[in-house]
Amino acid sequence: MLRALLNFFLIGGLLFGAKAVYEGRRVEGPEISVKVAAGATPAEVEAAIRDAILLNEARRYGWDKRDPIVFTHLVRNMRFIDPDSTEGDLTLYQRALEMNMQAHDPVVRARLLYRAGESLAYVPEDRMPTRDQLEAHRQAHGDRFEREGRVRFHHVFLSRSKRGDALPADASAMREQLSSLGDGPPKGLGDPLPGLRMEQSATPSKVKEDFGAELARVVDGAVTGVWRGPAGSVYGLHFVRVIDQDPAYVPSLDVIAAEVRADRLREIRDELRAERMNALRGAYTVHIERVP
Amino acid sequence: MRSLPVALGLLSLSAATLGCGHDSPAPVGPDEFGRCADFDELRQPFWGDTHIHTNLSLDANLQGTRTSQTEAYAFAQGEPIGIQPYDADGNPTRMAQIDRPLDFAMLSDHAEFLGTIRTCIDPASPGFDQVDCEEYRSALQFDAAPDEVRSIFIRLNGFTALAPENARYPALCGPNDAYCLTAGMEVWGEIVDAAEAVYDRSESCRFTSFPGYEWSGGPASKNLHRNVMFKNESVTALPYSYFDEPYVEGLWARLQDECIDAGADCDTLTIPHNTNLSEGIYFENKMADGEPFSAAYVETRNAMEPVIEIYQHKGASECLPGETVADELCGFEILPFTNLATTNQELFTQPDPRGFLREAFGEGMKYEASLGTNPFQYGITAATDTHISAPGFVAEDDFKGHGGAGQPNRFLPPPGGFPDVEYLSPGGMTAVWAEENAREAIFSAIRRKETFGTSGPRIVVRMFGGWEYSSELCSAEDLAAQGYAGGVPMGGVLDPQPGASAPMFVVSARQDAASVPLQRIQIVKGWLEGDAYQVLVYDVAGDKDNGASVDLDTCAPQGNGFGDLCNVWQDPDFDPAQRAYYYARVIENPTCRWTTWQCSKAEYDCNDWDYDACEALKAKPEPESNYTCDCCDPAAGLNDAACDGVDCSDPGALPEVEERCCYQVEPAIQERAWTSPIWYQPPS
Repeated sequence: MLRALLNFFLIGGLLFGAKAVYEGRRVEGPEISVKVAAGATPAEVEAAIRDAILLNEARRYGWDKRDPIVFTHLVRNMRFIDPDSTEGDLTLYQRALEMNMQAHDPVVRARLLYRAGESLAYVPEDRMPTRDQLEAHRQAHGDRFEREGRVRFHHVFLSRSKRGDALPADASAMREQLSSLGDGPPKGLGDPLPGLRMEQSATPSKVKEDFGAELARVVDGAVTGVWRGPAGSVYGLHFVRVIDQDPAYVPSLDVIAAEVRADRLREIRDELRAERMNALRGAYTVHIERVP
Repeated sequence: MRSLPVALGLLSLSAATLGCGHDSPAPVGPDEFGRCADFDELRQPFWGDTHIHTNLSLDANLQGTRTSQTEAYAFAQGEPIGIQPYDADGNPTRMAQIDRPLDFAMLSDHAEFLGTIRTCIDPASPGFDQVDCEEYRSALQFDAAPDEVRSIFIRLNGFTALAPENARYPALCGPNDAYCLTAGMEVWGEIVDAAEAVYDRSESCRFTSFPGYEWSGGPASKNLHRNVMFKNESVTALPYSYFDEPYVEGLWARLQDECIDAGADCDTLTIPHNTNLSEGIYFENKMADGEPFSAAYVETRNAMEPVIEIYQHKGASECLPGETVADELCGFEILPFTNLATTNQELFTQPDPRGFLREAFGEGMKYEASLGTNPFQYGITAATDTHISAPGFVAEDDFKGHGGAGQPNRFLPPPGGFPDVEYLSPGGMTAVWAEENAREAIFSAIRRKETFGTSGPRIVVRMFGGWEYSSELCSAEDLAAQGYAGGVPMGGVLDPQPGASAPMFVVSARQDAASVPLQRIQIVKGWLEGDAYQVLVYDVAGDKDNGASVDLDTCAPQGNGFGDLCNVWQDPDFDPAQRAYYYARVIENPTCRWTTWQCSKAEYDCNDWDYDACEALKAKPEPESNYTCDCCDPAAGLNDAACDGVDCSDPGALPEVEERCCYQVEPAIQERAWTSPIWYQPPS
């Protein structure tokens, strides 16, 4: 049932648009009036038009009368109005339609707009992205898939808890020691801390999460091969020497295909919404009525 | 066992036919061990949450959760999400955002109703027109009445509380449950797809996802729930629920046969939780056939359940105050309820100590002595159990309620007082020591129990046990290397060492950089002495009398503590003939509990407080609250005057308002981390 409705809805809208483009002239489509506030902005007017078209389409395909959620809701409304009624749900529903309740109820309106919006975004098989299209998408939107640059660095830590008042003096001594260390790793220097390694490859974001903003700034801005510090953290004082830096990069499609595909599908849905909406918009004749 | 590509192929065909929008299978990239740029053979800590519900869970979506698995993963990686209540136009009225991204997550929607929900909301489903589906859809509507929502929730969710012999799908699932089984497979395929779409297979390894679900059996509301975690995209064809396998032995058999033994790089495990709400039956010596544990049973349970949640939104399961040992820190986040129903209804009942880990660890050692294997040789994890798609959302100062058994916050207006039941909490997090942030490494860490749980803050703790560690190990830059070389890490088993005097343990910890300093490290030792098990708690580092505190009016921390702590500790009372376990508990300085945080930011006046008037507000068809009602309620622990002179020797005999004085939450808490135990087994 849903598929049939979708086809009607989508094909109907697209046919209007396609015919208009092909014939280069205006085709006769539905005609609606949309009331907007006198001071409505162009964006507000356009939003009102969009909603009105979608509601009209939903009604054209009878969703206001056949959608099960609309049905349940209208029946409940009727039972609220007439709590003593012994009539069945179907009878109450028909009475609600006769009262045109579906045209004014905000829940029905929201449901129809939701359903129409979902239909606009339906992705048919022939729009599913191919591998080549995914690769093009990855290249075109590298910023979305970019991995943060990494810094590999040596790290020497002095614990405030262990060293207490001696920490500043110990830091001065360590600075001297490191400056005469040469290029070798700082083996055996400093204090251990769980999760801290003498040599580490990390993003500046990760350094910030683990040790705070000050150390992250030092790591991010350090010159390769030069000891920097001490930089403070809640744990004590840190010295770092950057060994090398890997810039930000975009992984290959083989590696991130699922991620790229999910992103592209989100985009396709947006494109389909816009295409189909434009087709509908082009097919409709809309009269704007500004009301005080 | 059906490998995922085959399963997804069928599902996508089915979905396309139905027009429900499920797409063809996603391509899967490489996942070799060692591919991450930040690989460390000595392992590093990674933070995650393995207990998360989204709009795919019946209880969550009836509570107004509209956020999907995709949004939950986005939240885990630092994106803000809108949460309930929603306005008439469908816009969320509140926002939530984690302070730091997680490294990994497993979403665990309830398996029982994955297919039921899809059946009820898909017009193409043959079960769509069933009465229960109509009522369910009605309850999902914006203007549904709370009673209506509660009614259908109880009716459907009640199936999970049936006795195992009566467990079954709701009638709406059609002949042989076919409607819901088919729909459940389809949703399961989407769950695996959603996990795949966010798993970072690049060398950056910034986020790891695991497919999973929750098996939610709870006969008579006694919680026996387990989360089922898969190592990767190779999964079983169905997410086996309580309705499919009403005994946990059946679940394990399915997982064993169709995954672990199927030879398709499939691996899986189950994670117990909320044993505190099982009325003591979680660790009961009874198999499905009613017989006591057999040797085969304990072996299977040991293999299938390597870790357990010690703490989450619905309370802690470590130990009860006054039970087994005098431990002043056992009172942390203890729910005054015995099972899921009393929690939902807030009926005060005395928790059963048999549902707590201290008892299980002791009983487990007895089984090991008699049957050869300890079925409760658990490693430790913690989680949120969020029902608002907010993995790792543990901030006490930004708590928005997690739903679940608590306050749903579904209906407008947004909460005017506490966003959740005062006894519930933001929950905790799991950390693993793994080589890299990728599926194989993290799953292996969980399987070998090199894990620890925290009550929320990212306190990092490491523990090794051995026989000949240097007393200077805490000063050694290669502490980890020496720790592994000379013994076992947390979660390991320490073999006997002839001639050695007593085992040694090195424990090092550091505070969360975004939280308060540490106060101390404790080692909890349990041992078997004859048929009795004993427990002692040792302070091994830090200072419990450091004078640190918190201002309950402003929540400002006061006093000093330790950024990091470390010690090498040797058991002073070791008997090599006795089975034993040792786990570390790392304690922060005091901070405000979430209830106190809420009150510190709110305006309220306990002089205007009237308990009966507040109860009347709560009892309205659309319940209301305000900060005076919530902050002055005795349960919040901030209104000393209301509880002056109340005698709690028989709380049930007291007027309701005074009874609440006997079940106060702690206004200040000491957040903590619990390591997996290291076990000692004497020579056989």
